[in-house]
Amino acid sequence: MAPKYKFTYFNLRARGELSRLIFAAAGVQYEDYRIDFPQWPAFKEKTPMGQMPLLEADGKVVCQSGAIARYLARETGLGGKSSWEEAQVDMFVCGVNDLIDKLCDAHFASDEAIKEERTKALGPYVTKFLDNYEKLGGPDGHLVGTSLTYADLAFFVGMHDVLKHRADALEKFPKLAKVVERVRENKGVAAYIAERPETNI
Amino acid sequence: MAPKYKLTYFNARGRAELTRLMFVAAGVEYEDVRLEREEWRPLKETSPMGQLPMLEVDGQVMCQSGAIFRYAAKETGLSGSAGWEEAQVDMFVCGIEDLQTKLWEVRFERDEAKKEEKKTGLATFVPNWLANYEKLCGPDGHLVGAKLTYADLAFFNGMHDILKERADTLEKFPKLAKVVESVNENKAVAAYIAERPETFI
Repeated sequence: MAPKYKFTYFNLRARGELSRLIFAAAGVQYEDYRIDFPQWPAFKEKTPMGQMPLLEADGKVVCQSGAIARYLARETGLGGKSSWEEAQVDMFVCGVNDLIDKLCDAHFASDEAIKEERTKALGPYVTKFLDNYEKLGGPDGHLVGTSLTYADLAFFVGMHDVLKHRADALEKFPKLAKVVERVRENKGVAAYIAERPETNI
Repeated sequence: MAPKYKLTYFNARGRAELTRLMFVAAGVEYEDVRLEREEWRPLKETSPMGQLPMLEVDGQVMCQSGAIFRYAAKETGLSGSAGWEEAQVDMFVCGIEDLQTKLWEVRFERDEAKKEEKKTGLATFVPNWLANYEKLCGPDGHLVGAKLTYADLAFFNGMHDILKERADTLEKFPKLAKVVESVNENKAVAAYIAERPETFI
């Protein structure tokens, strides 16, 4: 019998959205529990490492966004079809996490001067990232292999704010544009995207 | 026939040591390539994402340290039982990565005032982090389960510089001290540690 999943995070995309998209793409039921900031300090005490997101499966808890996403990807068959494919998928996701880290570092910088510096550096960083991924990505609308993996979902997550900022950001990257298209075509993802709350990050 | 593994990195522990320790602990042959900066420069352009480490397996190349060590963990049988245990092992390793990032931030900080500030931060962070891991750690000299996983190797690796500075750091954390002991008891790891180059990081 399928486990009862509960996914707990802030009402943000940031480090939670990839797991939510894995659930959506795979059509797996779960409780999408979003905590408000004021609730967090009390809740924090009860978590394994004082951090979110958390995944609960039949009462057992695990934390660390990467560990959660990888577990869900394996459970739902979205992790890649062989060991080597799995490693490549993982590699692409790591690169996207680097991008998301840079986006978060710029977004959450409290010092105005640092924020400006980091935001300026984003432009060339994103261009280099996209050049690389276009070169390495597969031709069929999937970064790896011939069917959806969570690498495609991760890329989609990473591109959300970039595309919001510039809708034509993937114009020069046709293979990557195809990846985004395929993810949007997934019925579970499309339904989830249509309903999810709008958040800053 | 066993695959041919070639790991390329700088002459440092950094983001490659965990993979090296896995191959060593599992008795798996691999080529341990350590590049000087000048040797890396010409290779950078043709590498997948312009970064090290890289792992070549029977001629195919991948990058991203996390993807590499997770692949190596499965290849060497050190990733824990498939499913939930694998996720827990992964979770512990992610947390250790967080610790290493904080340690490196201090070591690489050039501004003396900022360095002192970060060191003060570490003085609170590390004991809390260790207390957490002590609470979550298994009782038998392994973070998860009853035998060696790469979480134990990651913990051992993450503690290297901390223990070098203060050999009694794990005095108050008996379960964690047992983990370090378990790793030290692996003959191949002990031999490797005795022979490996001393490096700053």
